[in-house]
Parts: sequence; structure tokens; C-alpha cells
Amino acid sequence: MRRFRVIVNGLAYEVEVEELASDGAVAAPHAAAAASPAHAPVPAPPAPAPVPAAEAKKPARKAETPAPAAAAAGAITSPLPGTVLDVKVQVGDAVSEGQVVAILEAMKMENEITAPHAGSVTAVHVKAGSAVGLGDALLEIG
Amino acid sequence: MSERLTELAERRRKAMAGGGHKRLERQHALGKWTARERLDALFDPGTFVELDLFTTHRSSLFGMDRAESPADGVVTGYGAVGGRLVYAYAQDFTVLGGSLGEMHAGKIHKVQDLALKSGAPIIGIADSGGARIQEGIDALNGYGEIFRRNTLASGVVPQISVIVGPAAGGAVYSPAITDFVLMAEGIGQMYITGPQVIESVTGEQVTHEELGGAHTHARRSGNAHLTFATEQELFAGLKRLLRYLPSNNLSQPPNEESKEPPAGAAERMRGIVPEDANKPYDVRDVIHGLVDAGEFLELQPEFARNLVIGFARVEGHTVALVGNQPKVLAGCLDIDASDKLARFVRFADAFSIPVITFVDTPGYLPGTKQEYGGIIRHGAKVLYAYSEATVPKVSVVLRKAYGGAYLAMCSRSLGADTVLAFPTAEVAVMGPDGAANIIFRAEIEAAEDPVAERKRLVETYRAEFASPYVAAAHGYVDQVIDPAELRPAVSRALWALRQKREERPPKKHGNIPL
Repeated sequence: MRRFRVIVNGLAYEVEVEELASDGAVAAPHAAAAASPAHAPVPAPPAPAPVPAAEAKKPARKAETPAPAAAAAGAITSPLPGTVLDVKVQVGDAVSEGQVVAILEAMKMENEITAPHAGSVTAVHVKAGSAVGLGDALLEIG
Repeated sequence: MSERLTELAERRRKAMAGGGHKRLERQHALGKWTARERLDALFDPGTFVELDLFTTHRSSLFGMDRAESPADGVVTGYGAVGGRLVYAYAQDFTVLGGSLGEMHAGKIHKVQDLALKSGAPIIGIADSGGARIQEGIDALNGYGEIFRRNTLASGVVPQISVIVGPAAGGAVYSPAITDFVLMAEGIGQMYITGPQVIESVTGEQVTHEELGGAHTHARRSGNAHLTFATEQELFAGLKRLLRYLPSNNLSQPPNEESKEPPAGAAERMRGIVPEDANKPYDVRDVIHGLVDAGEFLELQPEFARNLVIGFARVEGHTVALVGNQPKVLAGCLDIDASDKLARFVRFADAFSIPVITFVDTPGYLPGTKQEYGGIIRHGAKVLYAYSEATVPKVSVVLRKAYGGAYLAMCSRSLGADTVLAFPTAEVAVMGPDGAANIIFRAEIEAAEDPVAERKRLVETYRAEFASPYVAAAHGYVDQVIDPAELRPAVSRALWALRQKREERPPKKHGNIPL
């Protein structure tokens, strides 16, 4: 176990870092091996039928439509490196899709950060004045 | 004779039944229309002429000698859309899964050749399981010849792909070569390798819809130009798109009656672009205020949203509109926006559609992701596409026009025929902050209060150079206009350029950076 001091935006954090040896390395393949049989078998196309590609046999229906990938994590990330000018919501606030939740000053523009989907705010990671990089989490919507 | 007629009727009935009642029902159960229903939705009633109804496969291997393939799984022909000739083919999933065999492909080649010869748009409606494996390399050749014909017809007749079923593997490359791809949500899917292959190779798990559905191609990959919730909306949207397009590269886009924008649009135009260069706005508000009846058909609306493209009309004539979108990524140009812009401008140029460009961009997007991703060669496409275009080019500088991005956005230097500017325009080599740091470095360092001195010098620079008047004094801007005069200024410029002729040196073709 090694300890480090990390300074982020002027705040110091103490972090502990543990190096994983062979133990950790063994655990990962285990998990993978356990998971794979569940989805490994590929349904064989019926032999006599003409052979469209296996995928084509089962066109997905509407019900299968997944949530957009960005929403999966629920986090709204910074589209540009810049400075947060204003956070317009608090944890617990209900937001609607497209609602402006924060203003990010970047590229000499007060960019409106909008909610990608409706929900309630579960976490706010920044405040007015925070400097953020590309892809940093700003807040989370559940 | 009557016996012969009975036979004809019976043969027609059988071929038209496709994969039979059960499979047609199954198609409906999947929420999909049949190939013939789709063509009915596309063509003016009673105008569709079907070709090659009696074509069937001629393969005998792997049990194919016993397999029936009415019309060989694709309905082809021509008809009228809004009174204009259009060719089309629709793959029939109920016949051998819409799989593409030698004869199926041959039918498609035939309508592709006819569309090219007769100078008419062609619509490909994809709903197919892929290559008919039993027909082996002949099926493969069928694809190859479709791609080659797509390429030869590119820039000669508009080609539009409609994805209302699976399109996997090689099948996606025909849509990719065509001009526009329309997809129905939950029904249409495109990918090179499907979820099973991806999982077996990389271990990633992904559903068909996540991987290649309409949302994915509309938002992430940019492969789809328009997406629709239902097939009904899709075919209505397709017909709307066709109304803006000429039949071929030698004919003009169809004109319609001129319609004024909504009442008060000219007055409202003065309030759209904020004076404060840090405030965002929606460039589509400017477009709506300019065009006939405020009607704008935006393409790729969810992809690279920092740049807006689409068709509209000005005084009844089709125009292609391009605009930086200040409310997304500050209106920066990036890799995706450059690709989106360049391909659209090249389409407009190929089909005699004037291009109107709205400029308000702080520049190309900075960052390692962009640089490593090749923003140099992607961004170069913008310069190339605008320089290459010989259609009328009208640019309107709304606000920021700095540096390389100013040049790229159809500046006078790249051959804009008319450059208009709002009084809010800032045309300069770079923004006041950056410029002051360089030009006045010595003064700032020598000052007692460098911060205050820097601020003062930035303001001096801004007052002097962050305006349209230096550019106007040097002839890079032709007219500085009151925003309320936008529509008359643009329509007069387009009127004056209608007979524009601009020659290019003879060559086989250029070498656009890709």
C-alpha cells in the first residue's frame, strides 16, 4: 500500500494506492469465464433455410431500443475545456430534457449545458468558478 | 387467348404474393411494411411500373433447386413522385429474407442503369439479410456492381437510401455511397459486422439497435441524414426531400411559388444575434427568418450539432444552407462538423443548388483529440469543398469570423460571390484577447499595471478591428446590412447570380483530402 497526496483545483486529497499482484490477475479471468457461457452460444441458422446473415434473422423491435449510451452513466460531461460560470440546479431538483442545468464559459462563449434526458439531479460535481477539462463530469441525472 | 390470359393473371398473382401470406403477416407483425406497400407510399397513385416481375434465381446448389423466389426478392421499377420520374427498388424480406442473389442484384443494376441514362433520381429501399450465401461469388459480384453503379451515378442523379430493415456487411456500402440515408427507428439497422461477430472478436456486448439503429446513426456515426419514428413519416419525409432536388446534374432544381417568411420575421431578425459575443443563440432562428414560409429541412440534425445544414427555398428557388451553431460547442468547427459540411456543399455544387453560409465561429476546436483525430485533413475538406464549388455562393457573417475558420467558412478568399455582414460581425485574424497579447506584448510588459494595460489594449483592438468595417474597407465584405434587410439582400444576390458561370481547369478529378 502506498500513499500519495494529489492536488486537484487547489484542494489536496490523500489517496492510497494498492498494487495488485497475481491475486488480482487471477480474479479477472474467473469473472470472464463465469460470464461467457451465458451469452456464448450463437443460434445456428436453420439448415434448409436460405441463409441471410445470422443477425438479420431477428430484426430488433421497438421494445429493444436501448437508452442512449450517454445516459447510461447518467453523468453530464463537459463538452469543452473551460470554466463553470453558473450551476442552475441542486441535488434533488427535477429536470426536463433540454433544460439548462449549467453555464460553461469556453471558447469565449457562455455555453448552455442542457439535460440530455428528464430525471432528477443525483450529484453536482462542480460549482461556479470550477475549471473543467474535456469530458469531466459536471453533474449527474438519475 | 383466354387461356394465355388466365396463365398471365395466375403468374402475376403468384409473383406479386412475394413470400406468401404467412411471411407477409410476419412482416406486419414486426411493425414493417411490405416492399410493395413501401413503393405505394412513395409513388403517385397508379404511376408505378414494375420491371422484371417474373425474374427468379437460377441457382441449383445447396437445395436452391427447390427454393422459390418470386421476383427474386426485390421489386424494381419507376413511377412519378410529385409528377416527376423516379426509379426505385425495394427489397422484399418475405422472399428468402430479402437476400441478394445474382438475379436480385441484376434487377437492381438494371434500374440503376435506367435511372442514370434517363437522368432521374433513384431510391433504394433496403430490407435484406445480406448476400444469398448459396449463390456464392455471384451474389458477391452483385454487390460490387451495385457499388460501382452508385459511384458512377454520384453527382449525376440524386441517390437516396431508405433503411427499413437489416442492412449488414457489404449491404451498407451502397447507402454509404449514396447522397442521403433515411432510417426508420426500431426497424432499420446498418452495420459492417453484427453483434455476434463483435462479441466473438472483441468481447463487447451490444444489441442490434444500439449498434446500428436509427438513433446510433443519427447521433453518433452520422451515417443517417434523417430518421423517422414510423415508415409513414419516413416516406412523407422522403418526398419532402425530393421536392428540393433536381432530377439530374444538368437540370435545375424545381421552383415553387415564393412565400414570405412568417409576419414580423424581418423585425425579429434584429434581436436574434446578441451583441455580446459571449452569448449563444440558435442559428436556425436566422435561417427560419430568411427562408420561404420559414420552412427548413434540416439534415443530420443530431450529428455534429455545432454545424447546421439543410435545404429551404428563397423566393421559390432551392437553396442549401450551412451555418455555424453558436449554441453548441460555441460554434467551433471540428472533425465531424467538417465532414458534414464538406459532403453537403459538394452535393449542392454537383446539383446546381446555391449555397448560403452563415458564419459565427470562434475557430477550429482545440484539443489533442481533434489533432490526433486528423482535424488537419478533415478541416481541409471544408476549404476544398467551398473552393471547388462553382454554384452561387453567398456568405453572411453574423458575428465571429476569425482566422482559419473565417477563411474556411466560404470567405471571399475561397471564392464567395457575395459576402454580407451584420453590424455585429467581427472579421479579423484572431480574437481581441489573443491578438492583443501578441501585438502589444512589449507595451503590456512595460506597463506599471500590466493587467489594466492589457485590458485597455484589448478594448482598443476590439474597437478598431473586431468589426465588419476593416474587412469591408478591403473588399472582403461587400455589404454591411441591417439584419432586417437580410431576406431582400440575399434574394437579390441570388437573383443576380442565377446565370453564374465559372470554369475550372479540365482534369480527371481533384484529390479532396479524405
